[in-house]
Amino acid sequence: MKNGARRVAPDAMDRWPEERLAKFHLHKIRQLLRHVYRQLPFYRQRLARAKVDPEQVKTLGDLARIPTFSKQDVLQEIRRQGRFDFGLETIARRDPAVLCMTSGTLGSSFLYLPRKWRALRGDSLLRAYWWAGLRPGMRMLMAVPAWHSLAVQESRVIERLGVSTVVPWGTFLPRNAGNFIDAISDATPDFVSIFLPMLFAILAECRRRGAKPATVFKSVQSILAVGAPMTPRSRQQLVHELGVGDIFEGLGNPEGLTAMECASHCGHHIFVDCCFVEIIDPKSGAPLPVGQRGNVVITTLIPHGSIFLRYDTEDLGVILPGACACGRSWPRMEVYDRRANEVEIAGQRIVPYDVRICLDELPELVNLPFAVVRGETKMERLTLLMQKPASGNLEEIQARIANLLRKKPNVEAIQEWAEELPQRWKGVTVIEEKDWRRARV
Amino acid sequence: MNRIQILLQRAAKAPLYRKKFAHLKPGTVRDLRSFSAKVPPTRLEELAAETPKSAGPLSPRLCAGRGPRAIFQLEYDTQPALYVALDRADLRGYVEVLKHCWSLAGLRKGDRVAIFDYGTSPLSYLAASSFTPYLDRGAADLLGCLPVCNDGVANMSPRAVEILRYVRPRVFFIRHDCLHALAVEIERQALRLADYTQALVAAENESLLSDAERSSFEKRLGVPIYRLLRIDAAMFLAMECPRCRMLHTRRDSYFVETLPEEDDAAESPLVVTNWFAGNSPTVRYLSQVRGSLKPSGCPRGPKDLRIAV
Repeated sequence: MKNGARRVAPDAMDRWPEERLAKFHLHKIRQLLRHVYRQLPFYRQRLARAKVDPEQVKTLGDLARIPTFSKQDVLQEIRRQGRFDFGLETIARRDPAVLCMTSGTLGSSFLYLPRKWRALRGDSLLRAYWWAGLRPGMRMLMAVPAWHSLAVQESRVIERLGVSTVVPWGTFLPRNAGNFIDAISDATPDFVSIFLPMLFAILAECRRRGAKPATVFKSVQSILAVGAPMTPRSRQQLVHELGVGDIFEGLGNPEGLTAMECASHCGHHIFVDCCFVEIIDPKSGAPLPVGQRGNVVITTLIPHGSIFLRYDTEDLGVILPGACACGRSWPRMEVYDRRANEVEIAGQRIVPYDVRICLDELPELVNLPFAVVRGETKMERLTLLMQKPASGNLEEIQARIANLLRKKPNVEAIQEWAEELPQRWKGVTVIEEKDWRRARV
Repeated sequence: MNRIQILLQRAAKAPLYRKKFAHLKPGTVRDLRSFSAKVPPTRLEELAAETPKSAGPLSPRLCAGRGPRAIFQLEYDTQPALYVALDRADLRGYVEVLKHCWSLAGLRKGDRVAIFDYGTSPLSYLAASSFTPYLDRGAADLLGCLPVCNDGVANMSPRAVEILRYVRPRVFFIRHDCLHALAVEIERQALRLADYTQALVAAENESLLSDAERSSFEKRLGVPIYRLLRIDAAMFLAMECPRCRMLHTRRDSYFVETLPEEDDAAESPLVVTNWFAGNSPTVRYLSQVRGSLKPSGCPRGPKDLRIAV
């Protein structure tokens, strides 16, 4: 390793034994609890209402006594107080800061992010980019959606690593896909950081232009994609189609979660240096054991800016059992979808990701858009709307899908074909039956 | 060596200018007068046409041999696309101009400022060091303001209104093409804009909101609207002064001329030379904006370059 690279290479924390990580978390969380209790009215009131004294939290298990809160609570508080800063932000006037926003799927809220926050989160995120192959001296394509906290962290990663960066004009919208293609072709980056749905928009634009994606991406060694879950087959197909070395999926949320695939691609290692993750039962609120799906609850470990302590992201996720082949000790997780996109079929709760896994078993259907139609009443069978593939016998495909769905997730399905469905975009894989009927009239 | 000679020497490292200025004999350009007379202007079309011919496809005016850079694709419809490359020193020079614009708009320490534009617009990426790699201090950091951005897409207007409601920025910068959508959203929510911000600043690349459009929006929205001119190919920014209503910019950052035309019109195309851009030198860039130069002397910026448009 060259000297410059050695200076910024991530430390060995991702190989700490479990006990050391637990001790680290307990220490950080206790510090944070004391801080929020003293400084932040939002938490002081919540802790007082729940009759929790921060000093009584002596184990990580004790954390469950602190009530969770969700985006709705945040939005309600912003509206009630009529201001973005409603008491969960540590504001140090001497530390320059920016305000970022959440994407607004559930309503927009604000994040107060000072320079100290950027330094800690950015240096933590550097590890993810390092795992994905970004090294000093390379060139990276990034988008700068200045409203999003990822831009704040990413700019720090770039500075620390000393990489050059190219920024395509516009934002993550299909109509800007041409700009991304031009920027990749012209600036020949080694590394691309991108919103996954934008990658699909780029592929569609390549088809429209008659350009081979592998030619456009010929300089690119690896891609870090965020913003939507990718199935293993979908990733393999994208790697093949783009001709890149590898694609790494990152997941996270602006409130504080970062989790990242390593080269083993068996789940996402939680970046436990900045965040503590629990999976809870959405009904009882009780923590769930490893391997069980539930709501993802996060606690940020950074005492600067907006602080989220037991924040229920309303994402459906799981902490994966067992050790990763890469040898790193940071726990791994999957996040499948928003809880709101879950549907119940004959007593089985499933999300579109479960369907995607089945569809991807058929090479003709990998990465083709589909939608789950949610009924107004109890559903005994899953209704699937799928885009017709370019080739293959539809009846045969239909029968194979039905068989796959019967095996896992163990549901009966009705399938309908559509000539074309919209490009996969954020959270559009579940449509309500009433909207679907209206569209067909 | 004066700044013109330094600029020409730097520009000679870029394929476009090396070819373009080959005819200039050493010593023929000594001052601004000879600079204007001898150095031919560069058009947007020229930048686009020279791009495929240059050694790298990035930019025919990119100087080789400087450190890590941020390369920005520009908002032009040319094919091929155009880029500028900026290192720390370039960004420092560029941000001084934005800071000047913000000061002119009345922004001071402790103020909040909103930007409804793409993150790839200089209005956004120069706002804070947190947004852009290698930007040591953004305009907000220099002035002590708190910035918030919204993506420059018209259908993000509801979120822009959330910013107005809950952040209450002193000044709200907005892309010209988002103004109508924002006005509709404000009317839909029956909001009195003056309760939430003191002024809007409408910005556009190589164009300006017309007086008629401005007064129509001012009537609709009930707050003053100022204009900010971006000429991204020249890394140029100029802000309309609330007092004299002319565009102001920093004399230390640019040399601005007008290119006289045969019809002797009162306003002629603006020609911009950029003094701070080291990686992508800009020598006599002929913009698509017409205006006339006015003497300095406005109390809001006594030394500023002033342009009437």
